[in-house]
Amino acid sequence: MVLFIVSVGLSVTMGLMGFVNLAHGGFAMLGGYLIVLATKHWGLSFVAALALAFFAIAAFSVVLERLLYSRLYRAQELDQVLFTIGLVFIMTAAVTLGVGPETQVIRLPDWLRGQTNLGFMTYRTYSLALIVVGTLIMLGLWLGFERTRYGARIRAAVDNRRMAQSMGVDVGRLFTVAFALGSGLAALGGGLGAEILGLDPNYPLRYLVYFLIVVAVGGLGKVSGVFFAALLIGVLDFVLKIYFPKGGTIFIYALTLILLLARPQGLFGKKGA
Amino acid sequence: MSTARLETKGLSKNFGALEVAREVNFRLEAGARHALIGPNGAGKTTFINLLTGALAPSKGKVLLEGEDLTGLPQARRVKRGIARTFQINQLFRGLTVLENVCIPVFERMGLGGGMLRAAGRRAEVLAEAMRLIEMLKLGEDAGRRIVELPYGRQRLVEIAIALGLAPRVLLLDEPAAGIPSAETHILLDAIASLPRDIAVLIIEHDMEVVFRFAERITVLVNGAVYAEGAPQQIAANREVRAVYLGNALDA
Amino acid sequence: MDAPQTAAGRFARRHRFRWWELLPWIAAVAAFFAFPTYLAFGTQLLITILFALSLDLVLGYAGIVTLGHAAFFGAGAYTVGMLASHLGWNEPLSGLLAAAVVAGLIGLVSGLVLLRTHGLTLLMLTLCTMALLEQAANMGAHWTGGFDGIPGLSFGKILGLFSFDVLYFRSQYLYVLVVLLLCFLVVRTLVYSSFGQSLTGVRENLLRMHAVGAPVRARLVIAYTISAALAGVAGGLFTQATGYVNLSALSLERAAGLLIILILGGYGRLYGAFVGAVAYMVLEHVLAKAYPTAWQLGIGVTLVMVALYARNGIIGIGEALMRRLRGANTA
Repeated sequence: MVLFIVSVGLSVTMGLMGFVNLAHGGFAMLGGYLIVLATKHWGLSFVAALALAFFAIAAFSVVLERLLYSRLYRAQELDQVLFTIGLVFIMTAAVTLGVGPETQVIRLPDWLRGQTNLGFMTYRTYSLALIVVGTLIMLGLWLGFERTRYGARIRAAVDNRRMAQSMGVDVGRLFTVAFALGSGLAALGGGLGAEILGLDPNYPLRYLVYFLIVVAVGGLGKVSGVFFAALLIGVLDFVLKIYFPKGGTIFIYALTLILLLARPQGLFGKKGA
Repeated sequence: MSTARLETKGLSKNFGALEVAREVNFRLEAGARHALIGPNGAGKTTFINLLTGALAPSKGKVLLEGEDLTGLPQARRVKRGIARTFQINQLFRGLTVLENVCIPVFERMGLGGGMLRAAGRRAEVLAEAMRLIEMLKLGEDAGRRIVELPYGRQRLVEIAIALGLAPRVLLLDEPAAGIPSAETHILLDAIASLPRDIAVLIIEHDMEVVFRFAERITVLVNGAVYAEGAPQQIAANREVRAVYLGNALDA
Repeated sequence: MDAPQTAAGRFARRHRFRWWELLPWIAAVAAFFAFPTYLAFGTQLLITILFALSLDLVLGYAGIVTLGHAAFFGAGAYTVGMLASHLGWNEPLSGLLAAAVVAGLIGLVSGLVLLRTHGLTLLMLTLCTMALLEQAANMGAHWTGGFDGIPGLSFGKILGLFSFDVLYFRSQYLYVLVVLLLCFLVVRTLVYSSFGQSLTGVRENLLRMHAVGAPVRARLVIAYTISAALAGVAGGLFTQATGYVNLSALSLERAAGLLIILILGGYGRLYGAFVGAVAYMVLEHVLAKAYPTAWQLGIGVTLVMVALYARNGIIGIGEALMRRLRGANTA
């Protein structure tokens, strides 16, 4: 589920905007750190910190997008890759300098700790909360993209930028909003997931491949696709780690490889996309 | 009837419900100077894509001198002598004009896979490329990179690349589009100086170019052949004037 | 002067050696005498140059954007390592050859499969291939030593004459230098051949390459295979020179670092690999130990700047300066 929340943001930027954004995990990391700082030192509650991270990172990403990313929308993938790897290094270094290289722990509020009895089984409360939040985000995004005029505009702009522009859609602003949303979601995912994925300055690089795989498997720009892909990979990872504790991930890579070759548009992507 | 250089029989293509080519029967004779005209969206470029093999037809055949090409991939058709230019320049933008023209010549001579000998030591390739470059009056720009050239000059490189393949059938997709009218004569002269044996099909909106160049004209509307004949017949055809030419000639 | 003749002449002569092309090699030999205590580092540097050169062939000339080139480096490194540790096959030259063959085969097979795609999908696929190999190496602990790798390898004498110098890396340095020179000549010949011209055509305009009837995929697969074999040689040299191999040979860090080196130096330019590797590794050597964070920050900022402003790397900047100087002279 954590994978989903982080990855869905990436799907928004990479899929909808066609930008290879390897720095996405960086935004997730920054979000996580912000939450740690906010809860530890500034005495904010966990939920308030989450909201803060979402908006702060979204705002921060807007600045970056306007100043830097927007120059590279039409550039080759190579430049986008370089640029975003560069950003990751900067973020990592900045965090190391500012906070320190050690792993950070997020203190969950009491009501999220412990176990909840669901009647048929007990489960960690926090995991349940994550599932609920993830589902809500998915529903929200899905409704947003598929059912509102704003979503329709974004999809139109991706499909045919010039056409959308000539029909009076401000593509630049639209992309800024989409980017902010994507990064904000990453921050949320980073914060929520820190408990499980850990949080340290190498976070963006370590999970980069995971995020990319989830997006690629789910199909670019498909919110529901990413949701199911994250679910699939999460479950697969879990199961494989139990049965093949040493080399579970190899299957995931192999599957991704085969899948991408057979269906470059992703498992849930449109045909011919 | 003798075999045409290039012929299509019942050539059709549809994308879902959209029919972009409908039962097109078309003959391009050896040595033809043939123009294909029609309103925007009539399916002219699609027709070229079907001829070159960039698109596979839904139905029908493409024949080169009576031989069925329909199943052949693009590369094989090029080897048989079908070359095209693009409506929007498709050039090797970071390379020089000379390098641009050398690339098709290498491919035609089967040298594209040669790894040992330096490209610059293939004197025959170099000479052929320079000949084409001079023919299109690009000599002064031979050492310049494409990105440094004005669009009109780039259009000429577009044609030089196609000629580098020594085609038997040359398909020109709006070659004059984007060339300043003062320079269209370079283009027309170049086409006029081609060996008579090459069959040339030109898609063009500029009626002045069409009527100076074409000895035969086909009008395509909604993916189907609407009319075909000698230029004066087409010019005299009331319906064609009404559908298409009228606007163009008045404009 | 007559412009067409000049252009034709320049094209006909572009593959000839120029005097300054000797400079890197003179510098490399001079460094051998000038810095006898830094030869271990120098050997690493030369290996990295070779590795970057192999990437330049696919990225710079054929325009294949890959994030997984370390797969081939690792394949070569492990081939040499495993041959030596399990079969006692420690003759260096044949080991290198085996590394090239194995890496080349992997390149051929993966190229046949992967190069049907491009752009983002290709990027992902190369990444996955590398991750797959890394995991395989991690799992096959019996053969590969798993996470710890294979340490403490020793190799026979080069050509039966020169034994590896564990302490000062003297013979390793010269050995690697000679291999690099040979590989460089291979790449240089390829790049200036009509095959190389065809590859740049694919890089510059895929659609048009199809339209001139070029067998695009075959060309790319061949280039990819050769590049993989060269990367394998680099990997093999790494194992031989250092006497160990571990998972880092296959890591994303290595692949990304290599990409950075090549871009920094300037890709599609042959000597970009040299300039980039020297600039990156010397700076890293000096800075990274003392101020690791600053080093990372610096690399990040540099990358962003390169992507935004200096897409042709250090050599590109040099070329632009030269052009401006020359322009000022003639004006």
